[in-house]
Amino acid sequence: MKALVTGANGFLGQSVVAALLAQGHSVRAFVRPTTDVQKIGWPDSVEIVRGDLRSARELASAFAGVDVLVHLAAAVTGGDEAQFASTVTGTERLLTAMAETACRRIVLASSFSVYDWSVIRGTLDERSPLATGAALYRRDGYAIAKAWQERITRRFAAQHGWDLTVLRPGYIWGRDHGYLGGLGQRVGRLHIVVGPFSHLPLTHVDNCADLFARAASDPRAVGQTINVVDGPGERIWGYLGDHLKGTGERGTRVPVPYFVAFNIVRLAFATILKRNEKLPGLLIPCRFEARMKPLRFTNHRAQELLGWHPPYSYAECLRRTYGSQLTEHG
Amino acid sequence: MRAALIGAGQIARLHLNCLKTLPGVQIAAVCDLSPAVAESVAERYGIPAWFTDHLAMLREVKPDVVHVTTPPTSHFRLAMDALQAGAHVLVEKPATATLAELEQLVRYAGERQLSITEDYNYVFNHATREIARWVDTGRLGAVVHVEVMMVLNLFGPGGFADPNAGHAALRLAGGALADFLPHLTSLAHRFIGAHRRAHAIWTKRRASILPYDELHAVVEGERGTATLGFSSTAQPDALWLRVFGECAQASTNLWETRLTLERLRDGPKPLQPLLNGLEEGRAVRRAAIGTLMRKFKPGPGAYDGMWHLLGATYDALARSTPLPVPVEQVLAVNRMTEAIKPVEAAP
Repeated sequence: MKALVTGANGFLGQSVVAALLAQGHSVRAFVRPTTDVQKIGWPDSVEIVRGDLRSARELASAFAGVDVLVHLAAAVTGGDEAQFASTVTGTERLLTAMAETACRRIVLASSFSVYDWSVIRGTLDERSPLATGAALYRRDGYAIAKAWQERITRRFAAQHGWDLTVLRPGYIWGRDHGYLGGLGQRVGRLHIVVGPFSHLPLTHVDNCADLFARAASDPRAVGQTINVVDGPGERIWGYLGDHLKGTGERGTRVPVPYFVAFNIVRLAFATILKRNEKLPGLLIPCRFEARMKPLRFTNHRAQELLGWHPPYSYAECLRRTYGSQLTEHG
Repeated sequence: MRAALIGAGQIARLHLNCLKTLPGVQIAAVCDLSPAVAESVAERYGIPAWFTDHLAMLREVKPDVVHVTTPPTSHFRLAMDALQAGAHVLVEKPATATLAELEQLVRYAGERQLSITEDYNYVFNHATREIARWVDTGRLGAVVHVEVMMVLNLFGPGGFADPNAGHAALRLAGGALADFLPHLTSLAHRFIGAHRRAHAIWTKRRASILPYDELHAVVEGERGTATLGFSSTAQPDALWLRVFGECAQASTNLWETRLTLERLRDGPKPLQPLLNGLEEGRAVRRAAIGTLMRKFKPGPGAYDGMWHLLGATYDALARSTPLPVPVEQVLAVNRMTEAIKPVEAAP
């Protein structure tokens, strides 16, 4: 099987390329014109195609001989409009090109951010409601762009009869990506931990990549939407402690109960902040919830459909992320 | 009045945020080459129709006013199509890629008795209007000189200098800086009038895909002189406007709420620097807090000039009175811009 991987040089992309190769597939990596691929150290078998989804004039040739598109490319920084232009318009251009080719299988990297965290209670799973309408546009640029990216990909797949798998990872962590939005707020050396005993929807980048590679080649994944988490998730307090220990950073964790912090934000937003949606995300209730809300997470669907179990334990993931600094785990 | 937008990117959102607050204005449709952009903007702003073909939009919606908010090199064709469909046109800056294109649009709009105007939002910011009031009331005295200096880092990821996706503005003579030049010339024009002569130096300090990253120009106008500058490498970001009058000097950073005045005072001369300094200190402290508080308030923020200009433009169109930026001003500003644009090839 030959996979075309967009965003191949990104944090998740590099691990997905490695997982596809490890599972015996061949890879064509789509990277931006100025990406230094030497630094990544891919084997010679990885074909490189250069282009920028925002502006490339010709994308169809990248699909020559490709069996599956693994579409990971998305903007994670920039203003709302820039993220939309990059993530959504880029996907439109890519899929318009794909429609001219013989490739009809696609695996899309979506995100937990597409869910409507404000209305979900208890367990977040694949049946949980998605943010739509006004609730979507109160969210940040990343969430809006990922929701629209998934929406248009589903439309293209339906229109052209493609076999689509949508994978929605939680927080992807790994080397140099250990500090996550869900950990709370850092103020100098203080880490304000909101809901210290809440679970984080974690997936280590190598576990996540393993599921992407499996989904790309497993016919049982066709037509499915699957959340990607390694399990119920570590508690924030413990994960942050491991992160601080692993990086050697000095910091003090300050616990704040979730309902106290959330109600302060909600009250301030409705009164003195006058429901201003230009505020930093943590001061907007629905964005606060999307980062911090204490829910339960599960990978039951990945287990049931594909028999998937994350190949690496939390202890092994810590070792892969921080080296041997956390000796008690490894 | 029924408004429609061609181009639904970043600047269009700023127009829409204002339009939805204007009484008597209905946003009838939005158009973008990307269906997802057009549809999402329509959904977000409750706009009843969206299009990917601007001619279909003009035909089906028949808007009274069309905002052209696409990348600059497409403005001419889209504005002409909107005028031919019988709509007034409000075009984002820079109005057209060349002065000849603008003159053609103006001629055609005149023949059809339609209005065409360009968005000079900073001319209508609170601080600029306040300085203009000081000029009009004689507090500043006659204007001698104006300094406009924009300092803006263009080298961030996804910005004008991103080597992966060449920004549309790079096709303008002068590159990315030409996209900002109308801000400088429209502010200078407000205080010194039409230009008589201009001299510009375009330079490049940093290796990048930008043809130039620094611009400094001297302009002689009808009522005084101006120096205009753009720096991509100086920091921090700011848009300074300083107006030197015969009695006082006003200074503002239009990206903040800072506005200060140094003036001649009655009383002993040695006390003047002290009194001016104390007054300036108070104004700067107030502005520091005001700029922060502005971020916590809904509303236009640093785009209060655009809100003022759009409100006044729709009001004038509804009453058939002169526009806040009449076509003569658009032509004069663009002639000044043209005189500053680089003629030689990029270094």
